[in-house]
Amino acid sequence: MSEEMLELTVDKFTFRVPKSLYFNDAGIWVRPEGSVARLGLSDFAQQRSGDMAFAEVKPVGTVLKPGDEFASVETIKVNISLPSPVTGALVEVNTELQDAPELINQDPYGKGWFAVVELTDWANDKVRLLDAEAYYALIQRQAEEELEKQ
Amino acid sequence: MNRVVIVPCSGIGKSYGTVAREGAYVVTEDLRPDTTQLVPLSLLVLGDEQARADVSGAQAITIDGCKLACATKMVAESGGTVAHDLAVLDVYRRHRNLKPAGIAELNKGGQRLAQALAEEVATLVDEMTGEVKNA
Repeated sequence: MSEEMLELTVDKFTFRVPKSLYFNDAGIWVRPEGSVARLGLSDFAQQRSGDMAFAEVKPVGTVLKPGDEFASVETIKVNISLPSPVTGALVEVNTELQDAPELINQDPYGKGWFAVVELTDWANDKVRLLDAEAYYALIQRQAEEELEKQ
Repeated sequence: MNRVVIVPCSGIGKSYGTVAREGAYVVTEDLRPDTTQLVPLSLLVLGDEQARADVSGAQAITIDGCKLACATKMVAESGGTVAHDLAVLDVYRRHRNLKPAGIAELNKGGQRLAQALAEEVATLVDEMTGEVKNA
């Protein structure tokens, strides 16, 4: 099933933002699925970070509050700690990323997902997150700022 | 048998490209000088006749520094056969302790990664030429 997307084109780059997702300002997306939510890295964040060399996700059972590291990635450019956008406990992690971290670059909203969290405070978490339009506006500013630096 | 053509990323401006280029030097100058030939990617891009003639019809190993895979694409466009295409990032994934940094001059990790890359290429060259050597 294809998702409806917002698309931002800056210079030669195009960044996709699914309309149904929520985001924190670090570019972690949240897809609510009933009492749980799936997490991943946005298209903008993965393109900005570069080719993934390694990805590590905290183990199932890890209890998180917003801002806690739930995963980390090493790319050809940088090492990044990924902060949880929600409160809850990890109930599933994408083990495929260990052998194929390139999935994050190739399919950031699909096979490149990181983890599933059992939500314990979604009502409050949701208030702090950005919807697709707000995240689109954020990355538009960030992309234009980077373009001006060049 | 003709020499195996080695075409690395130009290695300008990025650590992983520099690893590709340095690794190619190690193979062609130190590990397998008698069975390999280095063809600079920059000459292929510029359409240099000798470089294109060296690649045309040859068996090549390409070493790419990023997913643009310029070396692999240019060998194919120049009429060569890409027998093996290696990506520096994949080699790094097999040697996580060898994090490359630096561009004009690689750090120790980058230098050792270039050596590891060269040894992988040398093994492939031996398979292609039917020779068995210690890398």
